[in-house]
Amino acid sequence: MNCDEFENLGLDLNQSGADAEQRAAALDHLRHCSHCAGLVESWEEARAELFLLGDATREAQTPLRVEMRLRQEFRAQRRPSVFYRRTALVAAWSLAVVTLVAGAWNWESWRHQQPKKPAITPVATNGTQQVAAPNDVLLADSDTSAFIPLPGTIPIESGDASVMQVRMQRGALSALGLPVDQEHVSDWIRVDLLVAEDGVPQAVRLHQATTQEGTSQ
Amino acid sequence: MRISTDERDDVLLRRAARGEEDAFTCLYKRHQAALYRYALRMTGSAWSAEEIVQEVFMTLIREPKKYNAERGAVGAFLFGITRNRVLKHLERRPREFSIEDASPNGSYYREPVDPVTPAVWAEQRERVAQIRDAVLSLPEEFREAVVLCELEELSYEEAARLSSCPIGTIRSRLHRGRALLLAKLELLRQTPRRATANG
Repeated sequence: MNCDEFENLGLDLNQSGADAEQRAAALDHLRHCSHCAGLVESWEEARAELFLLGDATREAQTPLRVEMRLRQEFRAQRRPSVFYRRTALVAAWSLAVVTLVAGAWNWESWRHQQPKKPAITPVATNGTQQVAAPNDVLLADSDTSAFIPLPGTIPIESGDASVMQVRMQRGALSALGLPVDQEHVSDWIRVDLLVAEDGVPQAVRLHQATTQEGTSQ
Repeated sequence: MRISTDERDDVLLRRAARGEEDAFTCLYKRHQAALYRYALRMTGSAWSAEEIVQEVFMTLIREPKKYNAERGAVGAFLFGITRNRVLKHLERRPREFSIEDASPNGSYYREPVDPVTPAVWAEQRERVAQIRDAVLSLPEEFREAVVLCELEELSYEEAARLSSCPIGTIRSRLHRGRALLLAKLELLRQTPRRATANG
């Protein structure tokens, strides 16, 4: 083995990965070459010093302040996600409450718009209301001018009659002798009846909406 | 949630990414010392090493998804980031020798152990300072080989894996690094020594 070959093995025979034969040749070369022997000796000395350097830093640790800073940063980084999660939660709850309130309001409105049960509200023709009506819709107009006399009835004095507001199916008008469109016999309509003292209806008056429906049909 | 000390690194990282501070702290404590030592030995500056380790873990906090389990262990991933930071640092300040500093909590260089006499202690200190200067004056790639194989006492295979280069490259860098180191030490010893107890 020559000096170049020895140097190629590296200065540390143990770390060089040389096989037994190479090691024997290297050791033989060291016995005869003072230059390479000096190099190895210098390296051993340097290695001992490297060990001292390594030993001096073996227990080195990152200062605690770095950990504190990192944890602070970690919390700061995570905060937005917590914030957004909370915001989303609040928004979801708000939306649920708004939906609930809107639903309740709609239901209440719908309930008020539903037609009442058939009701008869007698109203005195002289303008005094005999029975307190639950709402304005059921109040009959005491004006008797728009009444259509029913066929076969004798006109009576309006002061002796009462106006009754009735909710009935359109088909029932035929029983009073009035013509009815067969397509709409099952429709519910509101009419005012002029009822004599003996309880027999004398005349009928269709409400405005009903009249319009009737004329359009 | 309680963190088990033998929890795997990738599990800890996943939990840290979900916002578990304890998992992050556990991961940090497990790796900080090795990364700090490497950075310290490569830069020779406690402040730089501290800054580098902090940046490495900041990266982990901000971009935990950068880690890909298929490409290796979390330790290797962290070492890779540290190595890049160290190299960048050395590029910026290639000749920084603030090696005598010590951090306030005394975490930097320990004094040589068991000094028999003040004279021996001073001699040892001088020798450590010289070898440190010599190591820090090596070109980066040789310095890294020396730090990993001689100071960190890693095998060639481990050093090659961490440096992302073939084992033959590490072997040759180490060889040249040693030769350069010897030459530099020779030079340093020829210059008049600072005052020691031996005079």
